[in-house]
Amino acid sequence: MKELISILDGNTFLVSDRHGDIEPSMDFPTGLFTFDTRFLSTWLLLLDGERLHALSLDDSESYRTRYFLVPGEPTHFLDTKVSVIRSRGIGGGFDEELTVLNHSGQELSCTVRIEMAADFADLFEIKDVQRKQGQHTAKVEENTLRMTYRRQAFHRETVVRSSAAATVDKRGMTFQIEVSPHGEWTTRLSISTVIYGARGEDARAQLPLTGTRTMAAIEAEHAEFVAKAPKLGCDCQPLAGAYRRSLDDLAALRYESISLGVRLLAAGLPWFMTLFGRDSIITSLQVLPFLPELIPPTLTVLAGLQGVRLDDFRDEEPGKILHELRYGEAAGFEEQPHSPYYGSADSTALFVVLLDEYERWTGDVALVKQLEFAARSALTWIDTYGDLLGTGYVWYQTRNPRNGLENQCWKDSWDAISYSDGRLPTFPRATCELQGYAYDAKLRGARLARLYWNDPAYADRLEREAAELKERFNRDFWLPDKEYYALALDADGTPVDALSSNLGHLLWSGIVDESRARRVAEHLLGPRLYSGWGVRTLADDQGRYNPIGYHVGTVWPFDNSIIAWGLWKYGFRQEAGQICESMLAASRYFEGRLPEAFAGYERELTEYPVQYPTACSPQAWSAGTPLLLLRVLLGLEPQGEHLIIDPYVPSGMGRVELLDIPGRWGRVDALGRSRTPADEVEPR
Amino acid sequence: MTEATEQFFASLPARAPEILHGPVAGTLRIDISDGHSTTHWLARIRPGEIEIGQGSEGADAVWYCGVDLFDRLVTGRSQAMAALFRNESTFTGNVLLFLAFRRFFPPPPGTRDPREVAREHVRRVR
Repeated sequence: MKELISILDGNTFLVSDRHGDIEPSMDFPTGLFTFDTRFLSTWLLLLDGERLHALSLDDSESYRTRYFLVPGEPTHFLDTKVSVIRSRGIGGGFDEELTVLNHSGQELSCTVRIEMAADFADLFEIKDVQRKQGQHTAKVEENTLRMTYRRQAFHRETVVRSSAAATVDKRGMTFQIEVSPHGEWTTRLSISTVIYGARGEDARAQLPLTGTRTMAAIEAEHAEFVAKAPKLGCDCQPLAGAYRRSLDDLAALRYESISLGVRLLAAGLPWFMTLFGRDSIITSLQVLPFLPELIPPTLTVLAGLQGVRLDDFRDEEPGKILHELRYGEAAGFEEQPHSPYYGSADSTALFVVLLDEYERWTGDVALVKQLEFAARSALTWIDTYGDLLGTGYVWYQTRNPRNGLENQCWKDSWDAISYSDGRLPTFPRATCELQGYAYDAKLRGARLARLYWNDPAYADRLEREAAELKERFNRDFWLPDKEYYALALDADGTPVDALSSNLGHLLWSGIVDESRARRVAEHLLGPRLYSGWGVRTLADDQGRYNPIGYHVGTVWPFDNSIIAWGLWKYGFRQEAGQICESMLAASRYFEGRLPEAFAGYERELTEYPVQYPTACSPQAWSAGTPLLLLRVLLGLEPQGEHLIIDPYVPSGMGRVELLDIPGRWGRVDALGRSRTPADEVEPR
Repeated sequence: MTEATEQFFASLPARAPEILHGPVAGTLRIDISDGHSTTHWLARIRPGEIEIGQGSEGADAVWYCGVDLFDRLVTGRSQAMAALFRNESTFTGNVLLFLAFRRFFPPPPGTRDPREVAREHVRRVR
């Protein structure tokens, strides 16, 4: 695959090649996208009819890029009389400043042409090609090309304007230019996107935070976002680099919700630039100690969109927290179920887990009270619609056979849940981590009910149910001969006996019997699951293991961050530290930006982590990973009004100092140092 | 105005205690148009309560909807968010009021409890 360059601001993103050109693609989302629609599918620069070549590229910022180009193939002796600089930045659409430089002593006269097209493809049409049902038109105006798409009342528009005089046709703009000796010629092209809503206005015009944000405004907002986060001082360069990169990526992935005019986190570029229940909750859990202000809008929007009725097409049930929300044509015309789609069996329990964790850090009782009904509805869902078979477990089975998700857990690809020998189980399925999350949600719900909802009887009931669930789970999921928990139960209640990373999530939820925790930890760090770079999604001796299989052998940084948290919870500090160390070592190969997933090859085999072919990057819960790892290394845990700091820093990592950790205590500092025999860690 | 729509609005005050639990409060105006004339419904929403009236005064949010679409919504044959996304209906103002109001719409006709369906399915394959 050609190397692609992406810039983004919230859910608007632009993917082009190394020259800044965009060519139509139906297999990878190249072009300018916003709100799940491609507003620009062709953007090709030609100088006297020829493509240009890149000399260099400045893409150090997430929202702007600068391309330095020359005509012809760059050779050893580059002798060009002309060069071109394309400087672009992203906002609601994007702006490009195009400069042609004449390096010769003679006047230069040439033709600059930009080919332009907008196919208005829905993001789902790129994954799954369909015919457009609406009408495309292109309208030539003075120095302006207006491209529109209409299907019934659905109306999208891309407007390209040039500051310099242009000859405009329906497929682009041409400039006949004369540049004086050693002079330059410039035009500023502005590309705006319009989503028509109420009364023919841009539906986003009412959003207080969007619209025409200037690059300066984006820059200032990013700087403010990063400035608010705790300051990290450490000897370990990979940790420092990953932390800084994560903050930058998290800043860039925030987008404005159409619901509340607040900023939420998009899940990942390019496929997942929208709200996901699971991803937004897991990312929130990871970043909570650092950026607590991100959590209330996430919880509030998820509660606002909580399921209210039965709807088979959307896998919706009362009380369920959404899986995925999309704004595009396919969602609008109900060709895809994402308005929103509710096909996840974990986001509902995780919603309660996040609400409780958030209160423990911040003491924001008002939000806990405000969301009481939503949290109770979520807890009720676990025992009603969640327990499809009435056996005391959370199960899933889609009711949308056309485009519902077969697997409704985080490993949601079709072959992710299998027996050890590779067979696929029947539906409904009850994966193990769903039961862990349900257990944790009940205990956390009980705490909230007792402390803030004034309902001790409900709290007692939830605690009793949690204890029963733990007992039942340890009876039905434990595989005595293999000494680990089954990945799932099939429809008959038979254990699905694959060895998987899901074990780590069980530790995190606390559902693992103390007596079995040691064995679980040994499996996670054992040679079948642990690659040297991290814990594989599936052990390498399982039937469906594939080191580059999306959920059947790759290593997912977010998964590893939860596993590290789980190991720490059960006191396996050294093992947790080992995961932190290997993740940070891997991050060095991605310039601090952990991808969605990388291959599960043995570390000794490849010596560097091989990126999964179509991994999303940046991705929110991968960006959140270094933050959660820092929490694990420093042993940060709220207790009452205080923050417990109990560091365990692996040897060789040196000093780790985190200043101004926000929370109900105000701001506190944490300091950890690598353990050496002579020098024990001193919490501050 | 369709009969289903009339009946729907008439049923809301009695259903509100079961359905409106969140902290959302305010007035949602629903402008239902048949292309010639528009009926302005006013829904004054408070936790556990809804008061229904008619009038064209200002509101915290306004939802514009066709007669046919609204009839499909109150009979479960269409879904409100998707209708907004395809711009078949439009909305301005506080979206929380819309999200609270959509709770009153029924499931698609013929929808069965998924637990019943799953348990039948499991019995069949066993």
